[in-house]
Amino acid sequence: MIAYERRASPLHAARAPVAAAYAVALVSSVLLFEHPLALVALGIAIIGAGVLAGAGPSLARAALFAIPFAIIIAVINPLVVREGLTVVLRLGELGPLGQLDVTAEALEFGAILGLRALLVMLAGGALLAATVDADEVLQRFRRISAHSALTAALAVRLVPVLGRDARRLADARRCRPGAAARPGPAERLQIVRAVATGALDRALDVAATLEVRGYATPAATRGARRLREPWSRHDLAFAASALGLVALALGARLVGVATFEAYPRTQAPVGAAEIVLAVALVIVALLPFADRRGVER
Amino acid sequence: MTGASAGATASSSMCGSRGRRLGPLCATLAAAALGGCGLGAGDAPGTGVGLTATRDFGSRTLIELDKAKVSGSDTVMRMLDRNATVAKRFGGGFVQEIDGVAGGRSAGRPVDWFFYVNGIESEKGATSVDVNGGDRIWWDHHDWTVTPHIPAVVGSFPEPFLHGRKGRRLPVRVECADPGSKPCGAVAEELIGRGVPAGRSSLSHSPADETLRVLVGPWKRLRGRDIEADNVDSGPRASGVFARFDRGAARLVVLDERGRSARTLGAGSGLVAATRAEARQPVWYVTGTDDAGVASAARAFDESVLADRFALAVEDDLPVRVPLASGRKP
Repeated sequence: MIAYERRASPLHAARAPVAAAYAVALVSSVLLFEHPLALVALGIAIIGAGVLAGAGPSLARAALFAIPFAIIIAVINPLVVREGLTVVLRLGELGPLGQLDVTAEALEFGAILGLRALLVMLAGGALLAATVDADEVLQRFRRISAHSALTAALAVRLVPVLGRDARRLADARRCRPGAAARPGPAERLQIVRAVATGALDRALDVAATLEVRGYATPAATRGARRLREPWSRHDLAFAASALGLVALALGARLVGVATFEAYPRTQAPVGAAEIVLAVALVIVALLPFADRRGVER
Repeated sequence: MTGASAGATASSSMCGSRGRRLGPLCATLAAAALGGCGLGAGDAPGTGVGLTATRDFGSRTLIELDKAKVSGSDTVMRMLDRNATVAKRFGGGFVQEIDGVAGGRSAGRPVDWFFYVNGIESEKGATSVDVNGGDRIWWDHHDWTVTPHIPAVVGSFPEPFLHGRKGRRLPVRVECADPGSKPCGAVAEELIGRGVPAGRSSLSHSPADETLRVLVGPWKRLRGRDIEADNVDSGPRASGVFARFDRGAARLVVLDERGRSARTLGAGSGLVAATRAEARQPVWYVTGTDDAGVASAARAFDESVLADRFALAVEDDLPVRVPLASGRKP
């Protein structure tokens, strides 16, 4: 499980909403591009940001889960899409699927969709979880909606608690005579069922506790005072970087740089503009990491 | 050697050398090769393939290619993609737009693209229909309020007589109310002149399902002889033919795109139309209100006259488009 841990990095030094905006900007940029060069540049930026933020192992763990998904997407696309002109494999009539011809264009676009999914999972999942302090985000969000912030905070807190429950239940199961060292699918299902049941019990306990402490009254959930904290150089740098990434992506779309046509023939022009854009994306994304002053706090 | 037979030969030689262990694999490969599977694009059709795109039941031509670009064992969809700007939906399985003309709704009525291979509506989608040498592929964008199902059209003549269906020529028989009549001879000669070995006979009561039939004669002689004729009398929803004869077969009513009576043709008028009943080959009618009408229809049984028409009515030897454009006064 990927959890936030404060590290000595410029991204961790930035305030949580800014760090979250930075990750969201990376995700948005990935979603705005289909051109492989731009996606590779964003991939370099996301992995670079993870490594420079000390979240490389978290990204690697996330990649272990994300890569199979990306491969599935890449494999399914040419089987369900009837587009493209360059047939590379004829599979004949396949029942309800009809005639199935695998085209190079569908394979290429499948690979691009897989790469995008991988990058979204890395940036929007691993990088965000490893570098953004959820408590701080929720604390700031409390000013907007106290009830929602409280609910989200509890949910965030409950996830690791349930993870620990599952580990304890698995340990207990292993202690039973004749139990295998590694649980099979049936045993895993039993553990999941027990954890799910326990989650409902815990939720009821938490609700009762909150009520006893007076959280149901308006005074307890009234908006918090605004945190007045001056913007640090890291806040400014990552906010500028996030804005720069989105501006680059939108600007490229508007002026027609890094355009991509998947069908009927793959068209992904690579010229000076695309190369400049790719380099700019990497630089804009990673430049804030150059300033490491005051990363401890 | 075709791709399938080459594949089968390759797999059989490998199986012979490796013995029983590879037996199941060999059987699978051989079945796959014979089932049309293989690497690469496959063999291209030997002869040229025609591509036409029209609007409003063939009244306006958008694309007319006698020899369209075809590569490998293209499907109808891929061939269209090679020769036109196409927008698709549902994972590329449905044509939404060709050269800027989109399906959807027009003036509150549903319009979409439909295709015919050698004048026959396909039972499968364009991504599942192979293009064969000599085929004529016709896409038409039209209002389908009356029916989305027009099983056969005459506008690809001399298809389907010349190249048949699915790359296989079909037996052709000209059945006439009067086999010795001039229109019957003219229709048969037109087909034979194009290299179609057409047999000639009187009207049959036991049509073979696999035979392409051209029925020649006044409608009152053809009416009620088979399910296709019944469908024509039932109207366009059943037959796809936007014309029908009155009760006495003395007048021919031409319908518009919305299935309304648009024009009534009197004595001496003819009709060339095609339809198809399920699981049978198309039936063409060269018919009319009387012998003069049949003669007129037989004279219109010509490639240049029938081109890009769903069906054709003839009045005073002048062609009348079927269906007529909606809004036109009778």
